[in-house]
Amino acid sequence: MSLVFVDAITKEYGGVRALDRVSLEVEKGTIKGLIGPNGAGKSTLFHLISGMERPDSGKIYLKGKEITSLEPDEIAALGVARTFQTVQTLGNMTVVENIMTGMHLRLKAGLISSGLWLPWIKRSENEALKEAKEILDRLGLLGRWKSPASQLPLGKQKLLEIGRAFAMKPDLILLDEPASGLTPAEMEQLSERIGQLKKDGITLFIVEHHMGMVMEIADEVVVLDQGKLIAQGPPDVVRGDSRVIQAYMKGKPR
Amino acid sequence: MVMKTEKEFRKRDFFYLMPLWLLSLIVPDADDLYSYRSKEFKRKELYYLGVVLILPLIWSDPHFHHLMVLAGIYAILALGLSLFLGYAGQISLGHAAFFGIGAYTTAILTTRYAMPTVLAFWASAVTAAAAAFLIGKPILKLKGYFLALATLGFGEIFLVIVRETRTLTGGVIGIFGIPWFSIAGFSFGTYLKQYYLIWGVLLGLFLFSKNLVRSKWGRASLAVAVSEDAAKSVGIDVAQTKIKVFVMSAAFAGFAGSLFACIMSTANPEAFGLGFSTLIVMMVILGGMGNLYGPILGAILLTYLMDVLARYQEWSLPIYGVILILLLIFFPEGIGTRLGIRLIYLIGYWAKKRKRDEGKL
Repeated sequence: MSLVFVDAITKEYGGVRALDRVSLEVEKGTIKGLIGPNGAGKSTLFHLISGMERPDSGKIYLKGKEITSLEPDEIAALGVARTFQTVQTLGNMTVVENIMTGMHLRLKAGLISSGLWLPWIKRSENEALKEAKEILDRLGLLGRWKSPASQLPLGKQKLLEIGRAFAMKPDLILLDEPASGLTPAEMEQLSERIGQLKKDGITLFIVEHHMGMVMEIADEVVVLDQGKLIAQGPPDVVRGDSRVIQAYMKGKPR
Repeated sequence: MVMKTEKEFRKRDFFYLMPLWLLSLIVPDADDLYSYRSKEFKRKELYYLGVVLILPLIWSDPHFHHLMVLAGIYAILALGLSLFLGYAGQISLGHAAFFGIGAYTTAILTTRYAMPTVLAFWASAVTAAAAAFLIGKPILKLKGYFLALATLGFGEIFLVIVRETRTLTGGVIGIFGIPWFSIAGFSFGTYLKQYYLIWGVLLGLFLFSKNLVRSKWGRASLAVAVSEDAAKSVGIDVAQTKIKVFVMSAAFAGFAGSLFACIMSTANPEAFGLGFSTLIVMMVILGGMGNLYGPILGAILLTYLMDVLARYQEWSLPIYGVILILLLIFFPEGIGTRLGIRLIYLIGYWAKKRKRDEGKL
């Protein structure tokens, strides 16, 4: 069964069709790549799936349940985590608190019982801290768990954002251009982490401008061009597709 | 020769570092802004507690006691507002109204219905919180300037209601003869007793806030302040978080208002205007946002400043304004955080300078 099913969604911005009747599925436990030239509507599709914007027509289903008109936090509660194109770490908190923020929904605590620091709050906070440190350990950020998140270099902030998404224990993580602005070494580290996430049974949907990385790690690739879905399939097949070459390379000889 | 210069440096270093180090023991922790909010109390915090407990006994001037009582009440208000303003990053220019609601609730319940002050104290917080919930539902959807204007409007509406419902609130004259705060027959009738009452309540609320900001709600507030998109993406209900923090901060204002009514033994609309709302915001901003000592320091500082400047009569307001502007220019992050950071920076500077000089030798 597909985890996400996008059914013929259309989105317009002032007459410009960012997405034109796009349909696609993301299978559980796979890594799906979404590529396309600038302005193809990749990020728009992500905003629609995560609920930050509403489609003009069409529907989106998660695990068979319609989520088209839900709020972003409700969609997150159903098991969809995401990262952002421009990194959105919470700079007024420490690194470990960023991860713990990802556990918000899993920690059950009232406002007043938190203020009184009742025994069960203490227990759950300690557990959360321990788990957050484990996640940081896996990301290789444990050495800086106490430093302000805003002081990390960009590559580490991107990892931290993925860590925060992972801390939600989601079924699906949407990664919006995780490799943009990274050095080749950082990119390699990132691919490794993404591979680990897949092993943990998390489905990944990756928008990426950097074609090489997606072709390497994705099980299946979708190509968008000017709001239209032009190709879909395993990386090797898509790479050879003439329409993809035409659209993506825009006349560059291959 | 070399030995001698080295020794001179050491001596001079010691001379510079000693007072700085002593000062750094006194001022709030520079880390408080960013460090992982741990549960352990630092030794410094116990010193503060000791000073707060012993100071009025050593300095037994009633005027000082009264000022500290006022500063404590303002500190409770500012502490509550700092949860909303400093942590959740939302502005409220109507907090004097919640303070007023607290004061009037206590005034009405104790004078008309002869309710014990302790019960009225809790009722005040509940009333203020309920008002905040009703107001917050519609207006917390607004952001930035619009939220500031909406809360400001609420404050003005509150004043109009208080002035016009004469049968309930006594109109512009207000309510007199509110009894002293008393717990099980023990009446807080002197300034010294009131001092311990207020600072005791402040301590309790401080501990409550300290726990709150290191819980999931503290993290949710901080997340909402930085990026609502990021907060939503991890499943934080932004609207609900804002309302919860707003209600909590109004409850603090309700407590403060109730204590104010008991200590002043009157409640009249003069005290709860826009000027007072901005004063509370000023205390939080001057003290430093995003830490809990800031608002308390800000409250003490402004209360004293107003008292000291009162003797210059017509010059007091211009001087007050200039001092505020200077403080904001030189301590843009607030005295509570900036002073500590500056001092630690200086200590680091001298230590590094010594190393540099030694390296040269």
